[in-house]
Amino acid sequence: MFVTFWGTRGSVSTPGRITEKYGGNTPCVSVRCDETQLIFDAGTGIRNLGIELLEEIKREKDPRSLHLFLSHTHWDHIQGLPFFLPSYHKNTKLIIYGSHRKERFLASILKEQMDFDYFPVSMTSFAADISIKEMDDKVIQIGPLVIDWQEQVYHPGGSVRYKISVNGTKIVYATDVELNRIFDNLKDNEINESLARDYMDFIADADLLIADAQYTEEEYPEKIGWGHSSIPVLLDTSFRSNVKQLAVFHHDPQHSDKFLDDLWMENRSKYHADDRKMDVFWAREGMTLAI
Amino acid sequence: MAKDSEKTIFTNKKDICILGSEKLGLSSTQEIPRKTFIGSIPTVQHAFLEVMDEEKKKINLGEDDVIIGRVPACDVQIMANNVSRRHARISYCNEEYRIEDLGSMNGIYVNGVKVEKCVLRKHDVLEIGGIKILFVEEKVRQDDDGK
Repeated sequence: MFVTFWGTRGSVSTPGRITEKYGGNTPCVSVRCDETQLIFDAGTGIRNLGIELLEEIKREKDPRSLHLFLSHTHWDHIQGLPFFLPSYHKNTKLIIYGSHRKERFLASILKEQMDFDYFPVSMTSFAADISIKEMDDKVIQIGPLVIDWQEQVYHPGGSVRYKISVNGTKIVYATDVELNRIFDNLKDNEINESLARDYMDFIADADLLIADAQYTEEEYPEKIGWGHSSIPVLLDTSFRSNVKQLAVFHHDPQHSDKFLDDLWMENRSKYHADDRKMDVFWAREGMTLAI
Repeated sequence: MAKDSEKTIFTNKKDICILGSEKLGLSSTQEIPRKTFIGSIPTVQHAFLEVMDEEKKKINLGEDDVIIGRVPACDVQIMANNVSRRHARISYCNEEYRIEDLGSMNGIYVNGVKVEKCVLRKHDVLEIGGIKILFVEEKVRQDDDGK
């Protein structure tokens, strides 16, 4: 599987000189396995993915299927969709997946983003064959890939985490969740104990975990309830779950390239045991990994 | 307000100092005549690789692909056992450089992360078969002869 980061920034896009290395686009990650193309979230990063995909789609005879999995529908995770060029091309089949637990239909939330008051082009202008699916309780099989998913609490409005498996290799995409509220409050708290078990089982032995740790330990106390984790809690939980490679993701808009470089230097070597180590890095726009 | 053909000097009466033969306020602002405004300075993107060994060999990058590997046919030849015959390609696309693994045995690393492909940013450290290479990119002023 090839994993590419198209957008790694959290909350709001942050163009500029001090963010050009890790990138200023909001979340979008693609996972490609042979002909199967999965996309996780449609932040502003999806625009560049769309430009690249469109070149391929134009050359192909048969329609291209693209599977877009949304963690949730906050702006930074859907705002790139109106700029996703394959949506406007008839040779595209776009299937969008999301939580069924919203108070409103996923289709109407996405459609509203392209209401004339917010954007000059409506969703009816999409020429692609679009279907929007609210996921039920089953795992999803697409080509050789199996996609498991779970609802996450402790993010305002909730979010969904995903696990992609093929031939024993596992990638987990688990952003926008405040793990501190689970793991800092385990004592005599059955709900949190259960949530902690669910989380650690889900990410266990992942070959790559892409997860949100927007705040430093010092910043976190000012951000309690905002729905994002602190770095030490994510790193510690990942290591205890035997994650092999961790991509820290959803960077804070205020964190410059230098700041993220320093965080990486500080943390990259901390998580080693005698028999294993966890590779930690800060996810960077324009980077493709072979997993 | 005194004004001559070239400049106007605004003086702050509370803070007057003498510079040469002219009286100037410390907060004085001198108006630059429009004819001296500087237009855009022609610049060119300049990028190179610097092999981080004793020789510190530099390889200039242009718009053509650069193949790095062990065999003489490569644009950059690295004679090391851990380097594959054709190991990596550096290409220029949309005004930025990117590195791509060409199916090498030992992979390529950017700042310690094993990557299949990666857009390069200034001062990235590439690692190819254990050899470290610094990527340097800067904008430099274009000479009058276009170089």
